[in-house]
Amino acid sequence: MQIEVRLFATLRGYAQSAPRGVLTIDMPEGGTTADLIAKLGINADEVHLLMVNGLNSPLSQALAEGDRVGLFPPVGGG
Amino acid sequence: MAREDSVALLAKGEIPKRYQRNIGTIGVDGQKRLLESHVAVVGAGGLGGNIIELLARQGVGFMRIIDGDSFAPVNLNRQLLATERTIGMNKAAVAADRVAQVNSDVQVHAVPVMLNEKNAVELLSGMDVVVDALDSIDNRLLLCSMAQELRIPLVHAAIAGFTGQIGTILPTGPGLDKIYGKANCPDRGIEAVLGNPATTPALAAAIQAQEVVKLLTGIGETINHRLLYFDTELNIYELLNLE
Repeated sequence: MQIEVRLFATLRGYAQSAPRGVLTIDMPEGGTTADLIAKLGINADEVHLLMVNGLNSPLSQALAEGDRVGLFPPVGGG
Repeated sequence: MAREDSVALLAKGEIPKRYQRNIGTIGVDGQKRLLESHVAVVGAGGLGGNIIELLARQGVGFMRIIDGDSFAPVNLNRQLLATERTIGMNKAAVAADRVAQVNSDVQVHAVPVMLNEKNAVELLSGMDVVVDALDSIDNRLLLCSMAQELRIPLVHAAIAGFTGQIGTILPTGPGLDKIYGKANCPDRGIEAVLGNPATTPALAAAIQAQEVVKLLTGIGETINHRLLYFDTELNIYELLNLE
């Protein structure tokens, strides 16, 4: 299944081929957001906010064809 | 002119000149409400300095400014209240001095200590809105839980590099644990790598101050149950659903 991924801020560094952080990832059926993060080579600890189709979602969220996933690192400065 | 005089004028439908340019947007009643409001700003650094400046000019009548830190040279690139003259001085005290220069209608209670579990109830009780202008994730989570327990709306923002996030946390709505709730939550975010340039805190703080004004006047819609995320490097401005 094809998953549309958007990486934000420092996470864009994990996809050098997609400088704007937007890429399509091919995943086996039944994959989860955790599987997607692992496939991208991202350390899960660096992902704090995870949006699937616009909804705040857990790391174990099951994915489906065409899902849009946004991955955000923690922002804490003031 | 003291705040009571401004409030008395507004009650008669007369507009003190210093608020004249506010009235078309928030109305006489909105201005009066702001002058009668109590806001706690927790942190007087990059976000806080800008928020305090804006709320003083907008005419929020009482601000409790809480910060135990002092200005250092590394603050000069972005913190409005950090000047070559204020290096080494307590941030809350400097903020009170600045507000006195900008708007003598505004009463400031400067608290030169850090907010903690022991003093939070005393410092936040009675406030109409609390503003999260802190710079560590641990302290933000503490502040959010205290504000929700005290049933006071909290206006949150955090920044790093080109990015920032702003949201209003209501007492019964999703809290900051929805954002920072992962098990391996570090105390600092990506600002540890990206730093904080001059423009990002000003942008986030302006939106935070606008959230405070909307909460206090009842005008418009706040960013509640959501998070406004921006990344000015790629011109991204997105409202994320936190439910």
